[in-house]
Parts: sequence; structure tokens; C-alpha cells
Amino acid sequence: MGIVTSSPGVLITHEDIDRAHDRQRVLAARSGRGFSSSVRLLWLLIGPGVLVMLGENDGPSMLSYAATGATFGVSFFIPFIILTFVMAVVVQEMTVRLGAATHRGHAELIFDRFGPFWGWFSMIDLGIGNFLTLIAEFIAIRAGLGFFGVPPWAAVLSALAVLYLALVTHRYWTWERVTLAAAVFNLVFVPVALFAHPHWNSVGHALATWKPLPGGLTKDTLLILLSNIGATVTPWMLFFQQSATVDKGLTRSDIRYGRVDTVLGAALASVAAVATVLATSPLFNHQMNAQNFQAAEFAQALQPLIGRVGASLFALGMVEAGIVAAITISTSSAYAFGEVARKPHSLNLPLKQGKPFYTVLFLCAAGAAAIVLIPGLPLVHVVLIVNVIAVLAMPPALIFLFMLANDKEIMGDLVSPRWANMLTAAIVVLLTSAGLLFGISILAPKVFAFFT
Amino acid sequence: MATTQTPGTAAAEASQELLAVLEPDQLTGARRVKLPRRYLKGPQLVVIWTLRLYLLFMIAVVVYQIFTGTR
Repeated sequence: MGIVTSSPGVLITHEDIDRAHDRQRVLAARSGRGFSSSVRLLWLLIGPGVLVMLGENDGPSMLSYAATGATFGVSFFIPFIILTFVMAVVVQEMTVRLGAATHRGHAELIFDRFGPFWGWFSMIDLGIGNFLTLIAEFIAIRAGLGFFGVPPWAAVLSALAVLYLALVTHRYWTWERVTLAAAVFNLVFVPVALFAHPHWNSVGHALATWKPLPGGLTKDTLLILLSNIGATVTPWMLFFQQSATVDKGLTRSDIRYGRVDTVLGAALASVAAVATVLATSPLFNHQMNAQNFQAAEFAQALQPLIGRVGASLFALGMVEAGIVAAITISTSSAYAFGEVARKPHSLNLPLKQGKPFYTVLFLCAAGAAAIVLIPGLPLVHVVLIVNVIAVLAMPPALIFLFMLANDKEIMGDLVSPRWANMLTAAIVVLLTSAGLLFGISILAPKVFAFFT
Repeated sequence: MATTQTPGTAAAEASQELLAVLEPDQLTGARRVKLPRRYLKGPQLVVIWTLRLYLLFMIAVVVYQIFTGTR
């Protein structure tokens, strides 16, 4: 179907019709009574929150959790990782409110409200961050499938094929369900953790006492700290969840379910993250230095300790993490491009109408995939720094989110409550301080040692 | 790209009935209208510029770290 003129001056597009069909089902579920209607409504409304949280459990993030478990075992970092997901919920909840209240994406709001000068800064941050992260995703995919002997070109092409298949119906609903099904596979790290036979008493003790960092704050522990923060809060998540909320068609009456979706996503993602720490903790117990391991190396190192099945699941988990993130991150780039360039931007668009949107989406992924195949490039740096860059880029992104979420003209009575503002301010201070400490540790190690 | 139908046709009526489930500002046409610009004030600009300079400086630190690490 093309464009239908419903009344003078109003264009109805294919995108509108598809979204209206989705909304019809939501309204039908809402009009029902009883538990089954509530469950159906939740089923229809979950999506962006679970996807963004499990999408952020991506290749570099899972490697970061794996390095944490291998370097520190079951310790300070388990409660710390849970805390970072609480931070992610605080931040992402604002994007749900913004999307539902304004029906506009994050990039669009920044451009409209603050002008192109600040808008382009945000876009450059997002574009560079997303592209580097996409490269890291394809490295994880290549390394994970490499464990099974799959050649790099085949691994990369398979991932691009999955990305294409998720898009093939040109329907947001189908794309979301296909990607959700793939994302839930992130929980494969739970059986891997069980293969590692973790000491549950130690886990309980770590959660109950939350002892300070073992050995104090060193340059290496600071890097792991930053990587773990960057594994849960990053700029692309803000852009993605808000745009997906709009594309899905959520309204003010759905915000409660949007919050449930976000919390559910954070809960699932934190379970997978903690499971990864537990899965690699045997490497810590055997005192193996695994700080610079890649996906396949972790799986190989774990194999004598957790068996071939466990190691294979670990490698598959890395592949899944990379693929789901490649899908969501390239989609966030395409949404942002469409919003800024004022081109149609929706996963409900037929290929012909959404050519610029789908082209950007696919080119971002294909470009990153191609780079991974270039022999001899020192790509290990990308994996190591991508989460750190995410932490550094987050405070400027959060300030715009903070201002938009408190903008009465666009939000009306949905502006952030005081407690949410205080938490956001605390997160900005925490992230900025962590970044500055990182800078001091690099430029003035002696000063860093004095302070820590 | 476009199959244009005039108002009053069956397709347009069916579409309108269906589209009634959307909020008016959810329609693509409505979303094409730009929101009014908001001009930032002194303290807001100070915070934004500070964080922008912070990011630029920190990215330089990361590049320096990679460079020295590689060597």
C-alpha cells in the first residue's frame, strides 16, 4: 500500500496503517478483563526495553563481564553490575516517557528543541560510538564462531543474513519478535555458569556484604569498572529505546507497561551478566591471566574447566550477543539518521518508501563487518576501549536527556519527578568522576596512585 | 511510491476508521511538523559546554593511551 489521503492536508502512510493495526490489538487487550488480558497486554507492549537491555549485553559487554569474573572472581563486581543495571533503568525510563509523550525520536527532539549545532554534536557522538561498537560486535561474532571452526567471512556473512532476515517483512512487530527471540538466547550464559559450579555461598556473601574492591583501586580495576559501566549505560540505548517506543506506537497510557518492559529487560540482562562473571570465575580460581582474552580464547580456556558443552555454549552466547547488538545498534543509527535527515524512518516502511532508512541500517552493519575482515588491523583496541568510550560519551548525552525529560512544553505532566532528577544528576557525577579518574590514571599515574 | 485515493472512497474510509486508534500526533504527517525551538540559557550552556570539552579531552586521552600502548 502506498500513501492514502484521508482528508485534505493529511497523508496516511503504510507506516500509519501498520501501527494502527498494532494499536488495535493493544486496545482490544486493554478492554478485556482478568489476568489473561493483562498478560496479553504485557506481551503486546514489551519489546523496546527488553531489546535495549539485552542488546547492550553485547560482545564487548560480555567480554567485559568475562574478564571481570576471570580477574576478580565472585566479589565486589557482582553487586556492582546489578547497580549499573539499576542506573540503566533510571536512564532508560526517561526515554519511554519521552517517546510516549512526544511520539518523536531522541535525535529529532534534540534537533528540534536545541537546534542543529547541538544536534550534530550528538549525532557525531552517536555515529562514532555506534560504528566502533558495531565493529566490536562483528569481532565477537567472528571469534565466537571461530571456536567452531567457521571461517571469518562465513561468520560475518551469517550475521548479516540474520540481520537481513529480521528486516525482511518490513514490519516493526515481526522485527521486534524475531530480535526478541534471538535476544532471549543471551540467557545461555546461565547454564554455562551452572557448568562452572559456582560457590553459591560466596555469591550470597558478595551480594550481602558488598566488600570494597580487592587490592584497592588500581589502573586495571578502574578499567574494568569503566568497562562494566559502559556495558550497561551507553548513548545508543537512549536513541534506540525512544525511537523504538515511537515506532511501536506506545502512548501515555502504555508508560506503565513501558516501565515494566525496561525493568524486565534489566533483570534478564543482569542475570546474564552475573552468570557470565560466574562462568569465568574458575579462571580466577586457577589464577589464569585473562584480562586481554577474546571470546574464543575464553571459551578455549574454560573448556578444561567446564567441559566442551559449556565452552561451546559460551562461544554461542558471544555470537548471539554480537548479532542482537548488531541488529539493535544499526537500527538505532538508521532511526537517528531518518529523524535528522527528515526521511521516513520506521521498521513498518515498505522497502521502496524506506530505502534511505534501510540503506543506512544495512550499510552501518556491512561497513563494520567488512572492516573486521581486513587482515592485520589492530582491532583488539576497539574491543578494549569501546565500553570506555561509551562511559565518556554518556554525560553529554544524559544532559540532553535530562533537559528533554524536564521540558514542560513537550512533556506536560510527564516531566521527571524530583527523585528521578536527583538520581540522574548522581549518575552524571558518577560517570564524569569515573572518566576523570581514568584520565588521571593515564596522564598522571603517580597522582592517581596518591589518591587511591 | 504513492497510490493516492480521494476522500470518500472505501479504502480511505476504512483507513480512517482504523487510524482512529492512533493519537493525532502519532500520524506520520503530524510528526513532520517541527517542534518549536527552545533557546538554552547561561547555566545550561555552561554545563553543556563543560561536558562537551570533557568528552573531547577524554577522547584525546583514550587516543593517547592507545598510541602509547601500541608502541
